[in-house]
Amino acid sequence: MMNDHEQINDSVLTRELRESLTGIAAPQRPPLETITARGRAYWRHRLTGIAGLSASGIAAGAALVLGLTGVLGPAPARGTGTIRTAAFILVKHANGTATLTINPRELLDTAALQNDLKQDGIPALVTSGSFCSSDPAPAGFSQVVSFYPSLPRSGFLRVPKDVHPTITFNPAAMPAGAELSFGDFQLSSRQQADFMLVNTSSYTCTSTPPSGGLPGPGAQFQVDPPGPAGS
Amino acid sequence: MGVSQDKSGFADFFADSWEPCLTVVAASTGNMALAEDQVAEAFARAWASWAKVSRHPAPRAWVVRTALNTGASWWHRRGRETPLADHDIVASRSQGNGLDAVVLTALRRLPARQREVIVLRVFLDLDIGTTARQLGIAPGTVRAHQARAMTALRRELTAARATTEME
Repeated sequence: MMNDHEQINDSVLTRELRESLTGIAAPQRPPLETITARGRAYWRHRLTGIAGLSASGIAAGAALVLGLTGVLGPAPARGTGTIRTAAFILVKHANGTATLTINPRELLDTAALQNDLKQDGIPALVTSGSFCSSDPAPAGFSQVVSFYPSLPRSGFLRVPKDVHPTITFNPAAMPAGAELSFGDFQLSSRQQADFMLVNTSSYTCTSTPPSGGLPGPGAQFQVDPPGPAGS
Repeated sequence: MGVSQDKSGFADFFADSWEPCLTVVAASTGNMALAEDQVAEAFARAWASWAKVSRHPAPRAWVVRTALNTGASWWHRRGRETPLADHDIVASRSQGNGLDAVVLTALRRLPARQREVIVLRVFLDLDIGTTARQLGIAPGTVRAHQARAMTALRRELTAARATTEME
């Protein structure tokens, strides 16, 4: 049955479609460094694939990768560099910040990450199966670390399982006598990562994964477990 | 190769285009966290291929389409469609009549190709020819998809308005 409402014409509909976008609150833009680090990782991934697909031999592939090392990690500016493992990529930028991208599908080598962060000027306490915190926690968490995808105000984010969370560190903002606590929990139903600042000289650790919020300013990621093979 | 090439202009493009691209992709997918990741991946690829993308007739369309394709493969690997009941971006600043949410939900119900055409033609304001080239289809096919999509959207919106007025 026809009625007046069916007279919505294309221009009205077009306007309403466009206006509907204004109802979407977009999170803050990530730092440019996050994008460029990811762009470099994308290139590496592609080049590795190209090299792997090369039927003309490993030597040719190796030559390609080696030949591009100078391109990808370009004339690294002083103090900058990239550390890449199966579980994470840590990129130090010329402005002193560093970006950590985590692959939740891989087991984290906590000692290696803690050491690598330290080399990039980020004092950190990286633990697996436990989490350390101070009460009260040092102030300034949001100045030291920013997260991507963006954290809601609650500090808790459930990450889709194929999304690789990225953390950007600003060592210059780290309060004196503080370090970053990063606890990684591989639970049966999910992976959980918790972040807070702790006082270097005063903190306690627990093997119980924090639930229902952290005891101070911080962040908590939960990542769904990998799907079945081929998913 | 790509990464070594001149990246001038990318920072401005990224700053100007992040939010418009993200809102369009979020509107299409209904999941802001996923849209953020898809759009970041698309910008990362745009950065890696900036020599090409910077010469593209519609770089934002390139980013949006790349993001949506990334998301499509994400969903295809799971062998299911985007769950409409699971979207987390229902118009938080809607105009009080709930139509924003209705429009966005209707948009996500469209078949993928029709949705892509609406995204490019309506949200990014591309002309028929550029949309056709971007999607690799004929201009007449773009018109057909757009007409069907607009009909479906009009039907949904009309029904929603009727319901609103009855309440």
